[in-house]
Amino acid sequence: MREFIRSTRQFTIPTIAAFLLGAAVASALAAEHTIRQKGKVFSAAELAVKKGDTIVFLNDDNITHNVLSITAGNDFNLGAIGPGNSTPVTFTKAAVVDIICAIHPGMKMQVKVSE
Amino acid sequence: MAVNATRSDANVIVGTTRAVEIPKQADQSIDQLRAAYRRPKVIPFPKSNPYTPEKAQLGKILYFDTRLSAANVLSCASCHSPAYGWGDGQPRGVGHNMRVLGRRSPTIINAAFGLVFMWDGRAATLEQQALGPIQADVEMNLPLDALLARLKALPEYGPLFKAAFAEPEITAPQIANAIATYERTVVSARAPFDAWIEGDEKAISDTAKRGFVTFNTKGNCANCHSGWNFTDDSFHDIGLPSEDIGRGKFLPSVVKMQYAFKTPGLREIARRGPYMHDGSVSTLEAVVEHYDKGGIERPSRSELMKPLRLSTQEKSDLLAFLNTLTSTLVPTTVPVLPR
Repeated sequence: MREFIRSTRQFTIPTIAAFLLGAAVASALAAEHTIRQKGKVFSAAELAVKKGDTIVFLNDDNITHNVLSITAGNDFNLGAIGPGNSTPVTFTKAAVVDIICAIHPGMKMQVKVSE
Repeated sequence: MAVNATRSDANVIVGTTRAVEIPKQADQSIDQLRAAYRRPKVIPFPKSNPYTPEKAQLGKILYFDTRLSAANVLSCASCHSPAYGWGDGQPRGVGHNMRVLGRRSPTIINAAFGLVFMWDGRAATLEQQALGPIQADVEMNLPLDALLARLKALPEYGPLFKAAFAEPEITAPQIANAIATYERTVVSARAPFDAWIEGDEKAISDTAKRGFVTFNTKGNCANCHSGWNFTDDSFHDIGLPSEDIGRGKFLPSVVKMQYAFKTPGLREIARRGPYMHDGSVSTLEAVVEHYDKGGIERPSRSELMKPLRLSTQEKSDLLAFLNTLTSTLVPTTVPVLPR
């Protein structure tokens, strides 16, 4: 058993290192996009991103907004976000995600996450 | 500060909400404010249901036809009557068998400009909305197949549908499209406020002008009652003592949607009492008092609802302003119904 663990460690450490290196590269490659909300509109109606990219939802309006995914499997709800707050959301799977502000039905956007 | 944020499933990772510096929005001049309230020049009709006079005329006939209800006594116009600013003047609607409904009948004025429909936003389009009350057992209580059989049995309806749609059969989508088209033609007439917006300084009083400024500033009203129709169709809990959770039924995970209802437009508002989604406030004076106090404090209540500390003069100015949204209405003619 001990031997097995040792051999597993010997095998695992370089694997972890490779994984971490890969993750670091992926992280370095991942892009960050910003979606603003001034004037009760999302700053883009559509946004194409890659898997692993982050969208920062920035409320630069003067009233509270909500950011809610209405796409099953990619659910998230940022709750009530007051003016002057930003929240990063990272998309980890290829999908088309519809996003609304639950408070303001005129605010809609679609995020297309590709591989 | 994020309140009540729900964290994600594995496909989406939500990070921490952080405060960031944003530029303070500059105060708008009165001319800039006025520019945001100009009337639109055209009524928007969707590409999927464009306007034709034949369709609008058929829609008007259907809208006023009581045979669209199981008991043959209720039409769309029973609850959304031109005689009452396209509402019914009652605190809450009255449906099949005189049953009192849970909410006030909303006006259909300027429905063409709506983003979502019903107090709780459950209808995405006016076409979808049009068929809802007809079938609802507590409202008009008439299943669509029964409605279609009735209309097909009235010989004078056939040519009207043919003229509007040029299809061999009367269908439910045709009924929805016709009623929605007619409803979109119900646009509030020009009011003294519009004349002032377009430059006639004498069209409204100085009191009303002060009220307009309060409406857009200290009163916080224009955060939701914005634009020429005085609504952005947003959903808010305004702190009324009601058990009805409104929009919350459809968005149970969003705390701010509990007890939230759609912001109504304010055109013809002086004619449209009683007020609020449940008709619980009788007068416009009492409405202003409610907003001044801020309503019941609870997690779902909108951040915009808080004590405003308006002076007596400011309240009176606001009321004077709201009265400038009343137009000189031309009576609506009731159509002769097909037999």
